[in-house]
Amino acid sequence: MERRGALKSMAVAMGAMAGLPAWASGWNKSAVAKSGLLAADQSKNLAMIVETIIPKTDTPGAGELGVGDFVQKMVKDCYDAKAQASLASGISNIDEQSVQRFGKSFTDASKEQRLQILSDIEKGSDTAQKGFFSMVKNLTIQGYMTSEYVMTNITHYEMIPARYHGCVPVKKG
Amino acid sequence: MANFNIDSKKARTYDAIVIGSGISGGWSAKELTERGLKTLVLERGRDVQHIKDYPTTNMMPWEFEHRERLPKEIADANPIAARCYNFKESSMHFFAKDNEHPYIQEKPFDWLRGYQVGGKSLLWARQTQRWSKYDFEGPARDQFAVEWPIGYDDIAPWYSHVEKFAGITGNKDGIDALPDGEFLPPHELNCVEKYFKEQVSKQYKDRHIIIGRAAHITEPQQIHLDQGRAKCQHRTICERGCPFGGYFSSNSSTIPWAAKTGNMTLRPHSVVHSIIYDDKKQKASGVRVIDANTKQMIEFYADIIFLNAAALNSNLVLLNSTSSRFPNGLGNDSGLLGKYIAFHNYRATVSGQYEGFLDSTTDGKRPNGGYIPRFRNVYKQETDFLRGYAAGFSAYRMTSNDRDGLGESLKAGLHETKYGNWGVGSHMMGETIPKESNYVALDQNEKDPFGMPKLRISVDYDDNDEKMIKDYMEQVSEMFTKAGFTNVRTNDNHRNPGNDIHEMGGVRMGKDPKTSLLNKWNQLHHCKNVFVTDGASMTSTATQNPSLTYMALSARAVDYAVKQRKAKNL
Repeated sequence: MERRGALKSMAVAMGAMAGLPAWASGWNKSAVAKSGLLAADQSKNLAMIVETIIPKTDTPGAGELGVGDFVQKMVKDCYDAKAQASLASGISNIDEQSVQRFGKSFTDASKEQRLQILSDIEKGSDTAQKGFFSMVKNLTIQGYMTSEYVMTNITHYEMIPARYHGCVPVKKG
Repeated sequence: MANFNIDSKKARTYDAIVIGSGISGGWSAKELTERGLKTLVLERGRDVQHIKDYPTTNMMPWEFEHRERLPKEIADANPIAARCYNFKESSMHFFAKDNEHPYIQEKPFDWLRGYQVGGKSLLWARQTQRWSKYDFEGPARDQFAVEWPIGYDDIAPWYSHVEKFAGITGNKDGIDALPDGEFLPPHELNCVEKYFKEQVSKQYKDRHIIIGRAAHITEPQQIHLDQGRAKCQHRTICERGCPFGGYFSSNSSTIPWAAKTGNMTLRPHSVVHSIIYDDKKQKASGVRVIDANTKQMIEFYADIIFLNAAALNSNLVLLNSTSSRFPNGLGNDSGLLGKYIAFHNYRATVSGQYEGFLDSTTDGKRPNGGYIPRFRNVYKQETDFLRGYAAGFSAYRMTSNDRDGLGESLKAGLHETKYGNWGVGSHMMGETIPKESNYVALDQNEKDPFGMPKLRISVDYDDNDEKMIKDYMEQVSEMFTKAGFTNVRTNDNHRNPGNDIHEMGGVRMGKDPKTSLLNKWNQLHHCKNVFVTDGASMTSTATQNPSLTYMALSARAVDYAVKQRKAKNL
């Protein structure tokens, strides 16, 4: 615990989160405007989609951890125009389905209704919508598993293990 | 005005000039300054100071906005750099950008470069295996390229010299084809690696599995503490620069050591144009530099010049150093400058699984891996291809999380890590044969953004490499199968030459000035005060990672050069 605390304060002292020097950020996207890929209501829908995929239980869900913004950022910066279009249309499609099936928008639908929509897409036969959903689900899992909350509290990431043991017993979970 | 010019020239005059500040340049600088020579170190890129200029070194995984994945814009703009395994969101600032440093590929060649103080020593994989007598004897025995002018005994003391200072971890394995060095305590092989070691020893009389020798401080000695370096903390994010100095880089070790003598002047942003040849004195008198910021040409002068620009750039500088005496490039009476370029062949991998030791796993992280020293054609020619290959070998416990379903069941699955079989993997490290037809040359028309001629690179695999790939796949598959590994698969990734980042040759060493450029002291046969001690000087490539040999050659050549200077022979 103490080590973890020390580590954090070291990271702060080293200015890890502070702006990078010009020569380093030359390789970053900082010059590009930070505007999102999606409109505000679409972003809200995406946040609800990721929260439905990984919901709040006794620990925070993907929505609360900001994974929706992560998914959007990844698709915007790391994917091609086709994938970006697929993200926007896929989210709209989900909202339309919700209105058709349950008479309310996706964000207003119940937890069960939302799960049902996403589950039907995942198991369905619409390949375009399946492709969209698989991209969003994979990015949601990635964003969630690499979030500060999960890496700190659940998977216990060690920045400085300072050891390697080649053969230790598997701990029984 | 005349006086002003004289003073200016004096201010630009040093005892020695080192071109390049990477692994070999750092060593040249350290050895020269320690011997009291006022030394100018020229670096084409920016300054990168230890710790201060490692902007990502303490960032947590979640602090990288793309979690180490490359933004498309960057990947698209840098297709060559982006093919490097080490080019990541956290380390890309230590790579040269493709579009800023263009070259011409007559054949596909991935030229990976680190243009900053420290060069690629910030990015290397830190493996440091010595060469053996069989590697130095190779060309003469197997009748390719040209005979090495030195043998293992010439360089062995210099291996010791650099190993002690750099800090090399390893085990004394007593293997003929891979001599032991001055080692700090070894990293540990894990259970499956040890098991494989035993199986291989039982089944093959001259094949070995060992822990790699690597430039990590596992137990700091006084000489490392004196450098301000500390024990390796097993972070395994070395490519960001190590704030502990846990691995060897020019930035953490040789360059600050040289600075501490008070004899070093470091000049970043200095793109070397050429070495100046003085017809009257019949030797080099200095170096012409293009200031990267102002694009102005400046000359610096010295008695001794060490060329450590990294293999292909050292070729470029010499080819561009023309004079009435050397119209085809400095020291190039033989016409061989730029030819006999070779590299390492890392194309093939073999993977598998092991269903034993299922109650065991590993703990912590290891910045190193297992190693299979070359076993083919070591003592005599025994296959239908020349030379051989070393290989990496590592085992790891496979883990997975159930990603099925959605909602709470998915979340529960993600939180539970399941252990699978052990995974095992190997990659080949093949020796390639230097050939006259593998060359670099200056383009006659196209210039780079600094006004330097663009380098044309024409380097390719040959039949020998294809046969070696096949043999590696067969032999390692057989070793895996005999050890009881399952699901054994081979893969040829068809990567371009150069992607191994072990390009060598073009300014090779040799006994005869008619067939080589450098003598046994890495000294140009025809321009005695110029020394080339990086990968350009390599007569053949062996299978070992080459950096340790560049370090040893640099230290050895400086020792000789300084003695010759004192004796007024330079």
